[in-house]
Amino acid sequence: MGINKKIAWIHLSSKIRQLLVAVLSVTFGISMYIFMNGFMSGVNKAQTDIAFTSMAHLKIYNDLNSDPKPIEVSDTDDNSIHIVHNSKNIRYTEGIKNSEPILESVQNYPEITAVTEQLNENVFIRNGVTRINVLLSGIDVANEDRVFGLSKYMTDGDLFELEKRPDGIILGSKLAASLGVTMGDNINIMTADGIAKNFKTIGMFETGAVGVDKTKAIISIQTARQIFSKNPNYATEILINISDFNKADELAEKMAPTTAFKVESWKEGNDQLDSANQLRNILAMAVSLTILIVAGFGIYNIMNMTVNEKIKEIAILKAMGFNGGDIVEIFLTQSIIIGCLGGLSGVILGNIISRIISKIPFSIASLTTLPIEFNRMDYLMAFLFGVIITLIAGYLPARKASKIDPVNIIRG
Amino acid sequence: MKALKVENINKYFYDPQKFQVLNDVSFEVEKGEFVSIIGKSGSGKSTMLYLLSTMDTVYDGKIHLNGELMTGKTQNQLAEYRNEHLGFVFQFHYLLPEFRLIDNVMLPALKLGKKPVEEIEDKAMKLLEMLDLKGREYKAASKISGGQQQRVAIARALINDPAVIMGDEPTGNLDSKNTKVVFDIFRSLAKEFGQTIIAVTHDDDFAANCDRIIELKDGKVISVN
Repeated sequence: MGINKKIAWIHLSSKIRQLLVAVLSVTFGISMYIFMNGFMSGVNKAQTDIAFTSMAHLKIYNDLNSDPKPIEVSDTDDNSIHIVHNSKNIRYTEGIKNSEPILESVQNYPEITAVTEQLNENVFIRNGVTRINVLLSGIDVANEDRVFGLSKYMTDGDLFELEKRPDGIILGSKLAASLGVTMGDNINIMTADGIAKNFKTIGMFETGAVGVDKTKAIISIQTARQIFSKNPNYATEILINISDFNKADELAEKMAPTTAFKVESWKEGNDQLDSANQLRNILAMAVSLTILIVAGFGIYNIMNMTVNEKIKEIAILKAMGFNGGDIVEIFLTQSIIIGCLGGLSGVILGNIISRIISKIPFSIASLTTLPIEFNRMDYLMAFLFGVIITLIAGYLPARKASKIDPVNIIRG
Repeated sequence: MKALKVENINKYFYDPQKFQVLNDVSFEVEKGEFVSIIGKSGSGKSTMLYLLSTMDTVYDGKIHLNGELMTGKTQNQLAEYRNEHLGFVFQFHYLLPEFRLIDNVMLPALKLGKKPVEEIEDKAMKLLEMLDLKGREYKAASKISGGQQQRVAIARALINDPAVIMGDEPTGNLDSKNTKVVFDIFRSLAKEFGQTIIAVTHDDDFAANCDRIIELKDGKVISVN
């Protein structure tokens, strides 16, 4: 051990209580940093998880152009005029007539983890006098579960029953409540084209997103094709999940030229989700950095006191031939030891706090306990920030100590 | 070769107003001499010593130590020079209170780092024994008496065998018995080891027994005898 480090160590170990206070201030700062960031990413994850129960990362659909096109007028004959009354905009194609080629082509992208097709139409559900406008979703059960994990959100019945029951329907829990139906009850569906069909309630789901739970009903896609009189490969949209939902934009751009249909990333039209995540991250960063900076001031204060207390020793060390660099080393070593001790205990305490908080019951939407993420990067960053801040906080008093003029001190 | 050569030193204080502390001071000290610098307070004797110590570098003129020009060296070069060639004894001991006696004594040698630690420790033990502190080597510096502390400070000044030992009122804080002890140590260092000793003092008895007295008055050397 070098002589400078030895002096630093003796300074530290002779003032255990002061050392403890300094270490604790770093410990507290770093554990708060870890907890805040873990909690915020937990909330973000819970939030996106809920959002992705009814929304895929990518959606391919027929983006109907509804701009009225002017009617072609050819001026071949000066003696005739064209008069068009009540011009109508005609939709030539609706939905995706043949989903097969698209479903096949997406197999080429390794980042895609799940694909499903849906047939969504607005219908009326009638139960006696109650009549409610509902989004009827015809799903490919197995793939749907892969994309949205719908079976996790079933509160009653079995999702996979749909495959076997062409007359089965699964309702959002709030929708069932407002219709006043329970399991096994019959309801009547009426499409916009006037086709009516009876279904039996075989299940209920609750995703936590009220808008969905209140307005969505699910049947199998084959049944849906039948009641809307569509061909066997018809779908209104194809939904895709990828391994990293943050890369949805890039993939959407890559896929767009390969198909005539619109490829839309979840971020389009869901800016509020993305911005809420960003804002929470900024908030967590701001709060935890503030705490770390306060801890930094604590260290600055303590090191400043130490320097003032040891001012005569510093003068005599300089008289004996220790130069400015040695003095900086002596005091900076103390800060680094404080920073590392505080960093280490802060990481441990942060982990303990996070573990305790993550056990606190919290039952709103699909959550059962407070959401906390344990992200290795957070721990690394917390330790790094802690050490950097103690370095800065320790360097300033150390530099001050190195500039002490021994003559002034020794002469008194 | 002279142990010390001072040429035309002028030094000013600017605070609170410009004031000339040292006025064209020149003198020389031979190797192995035991010299006192005396003078009334305000005569500039302490200021002179701190210039000689190389800690104060703001002056006009030239200072040579052991034939080497000190004037114009950088702070780090001077620190290195002090470490190896100069020893200091101040009015107050300025020991590091949490360190044991032996650690305090070893400090400058550990900083110099030219000898193995065992050798340094051995030497520190011998110095402490010479200064009649045997048996107290492992006590904390804050736990011994003032006279003993001053002797530890002397041991610390001697650990690197400095060519020049400087004292600023080295006995100013000691009773007559301890003053005599310290004086005798200095005496024998000069005689037996050929080390040059320069001490600022206002103790006339102390000065009278030195080889030579340099007296300052109002920033000028008024007598050298």
